[in-house]
Amino acid sequence: MSKSIDVNVHHITRVEGHGNIVLNTSNGKIEKLEWQVPEAPRFFEAMVRGRMWDEIQPIVCRICGICSFAHSLAALKAVEGALGVEISEQTDKLRILAYYGEQLESHVLHVGYLIAPDLLGVKSVVPLASSHPDAVKTIVAAHRVGNQWMELLGGRMTHPVSFRVGGFGKLPTDEELKELRKSLVDTVPKLEIIAELVMSLADKLPAFERDTEYIALMEPGVYTFYHGDIGSTDTSDKVNIHEFESVVNEYITKQSTAKWARWHRDSYAVGALARYNLNADHLLPLAEKTAKAFGLEKGCCNPYMNSVAQVIESVQVVEHALQLIDELLTAGITYEVPHVEAKAGMGVGAIEAPRGILFHRYAFDDDGRCVSANCCIPTNQNHGNIQKDFEALVPQIMDRGQDEIRQMLEMLVRAYDPCISCSTHFLNIEFV
Amino acid sequence: MTERNSTVVVGLGNPLMADEGIGLYVVRGLLEASEQLPDTDIVEPGTSPMGVVHAIAGRRKAILVDCAYMREPAGTIRRFHPDEVVSTKEMTHLSLHEGDLLDVLELSKRLGEYPEEVVIFGIQPELIALGEGLSSALQERLQDYIAIINAEVEGSLVH
Repeated sequence: MSKSIDVNVHHITRVEGHGNIVLNTSNGKIEKLEWQVPEAPRFFEAMVRGRMWDEIQPIVCRICGICSFAHSLAALKAVEGALGVEISEQTDKLRILAYYGEQLESHVLHVGYLIAPDLLGVKSVVPLASSHPDAVKTIVAAHRVGNQWMELLGGRMTHPVSFRVGGFGKLPTDEELKELRKSLVDTVPKLEIIAELVMSLADKLPAFERDTEYIALMEPGVYTFYHGDIGSTDTSDKVNIHEFESVVNEYITKQSTAKWARWHRDSYAVGALARYNLNADHLLPLAEKTAKAFGLEKGCCNPYMNSVAQVIESVQVVEHALQLIDELLTAGITYEVPHVEAKAGMGVGAIEAPRGILFHRYAFDDDGRCVSANCCIPTNQNHGNIQKDFEALVPQIMDRGQDEIRQMLEMLVRAYDPCISCSTHFLNIEFV
Repeated sequence: MTERNSTVVVGLGNPLMADEGIGLYVVRGLLEASEQLPDTDIVEPGTSPMGVVHAIAGRRKAILVDCAYMREPAGTIRRFHPDEVVSTKEMTHLSLHEGDLLDVLELSKRLGEYPEEVVIFGIQPELIALGEGLSSALQERLQDYIAIINAEVEGSLVH
């Protein structure tokens, strides 16, 4: 093999560094193969130090414009743990319900707006709106339901304002929950259409496998996104979330400016496929039916299949949300006043963000002022694994054309649904 | 799920990234300055441009307020329609977290949900970096921005 390959996909922002794919080969030999990423969101950890316990969630929800509910709820759980605040069963159910809105919104956005264009051979969802209008309208409709769902329970479509340490500042009414229920029932057929679309294109997902350790929350009998211990496909042992640093084991390599994470191997993966590989036995019936239709087996080590797992999870969260709404309506929504007293303490919150397990840890002094913070986001945990996938994949596809190789590497990164450059978005324009 | 007014004012940005959050400062100021704007909703999608698709769907008029690099002096505010500009933003499409407002508006158009009129107010930043509060260049003009958007809402702006 004498050809040379030169792939450089550069992601440039003004303030947050980069997320680049670099591949250089010469005479069939790999000279450079790197997934280059920035370290995020360390800025926010510095920002919350010195702030009071009730200021943490409104600040850290701005780490991300897409998973702001996940960051909010991880923070609330950690703060409540630190201050010894007990929450009611109603609050717990409402939070899970609220959070499912974000799961749906994020997964549909990812599969519909980022993965579907790959499978249909275009650069973005915009041209698809003309070439495949019905499919895009269905995707947008499902995404819109997720947004409205979040707005109802979070008080805003993103960056929630209804959440409080200990409970909620504003509760939904029975009527609003009934309206949400109806909307979710109407969403199920839309998700079936999206699943059928992805299934019809699934043969375009590369058939690449690499034996991988997957990590996710595990809770007995539940396909959990919210409670439980940390589990791994490499061991039957579970680790309490308070010891998450012993799982994450961040380390530095020469290849990357971002820290990598490892538990039993050099890297591990988090996200929808990780959750599926650990918890698929506990899917609800409709989600299980969707999984069977795709033929997705537990133990799948094809990272491109993360998008398929996201479709299955979209069905799962809507199905479970319908159950939660019924339980809440049967019990009746009760007005509750959270009781919180400032004190010294340390707490950890863990949640399965759409793109994988997320940990927040905070410590407070006697006045309830934050003295330390650690936010360990799923994208950072996946960086090392993306690099390892690159290293396994590229030798298998070196004989293909440069554009095809670039496309496969881009699709691989996209499959992990990474959170890059998420705290800014500004316009950059020229007048014509 | 709730009834929507025919006009929407959309503030974009992150209030923890200095001038990047100008859209939010303006719409919050607008809310304080005018208790009830007639037939108008005010929304904050934060840093989620995709939320704009839903916020503007089916409205008669959408007014978007955003931080914009326009090669103007810091603090400059410009009113324009989306078809008067082109994006020079570099995108890889590697992540959902990249977003371009002009792309989102084009999607809305192709979905057939685009308002009769979309007006963008771009405000040239002085500083985008982690931190609360605006730069002095924008802070000094904040009330002007709010008044300009208010005038747009009330339809009294002379074009």
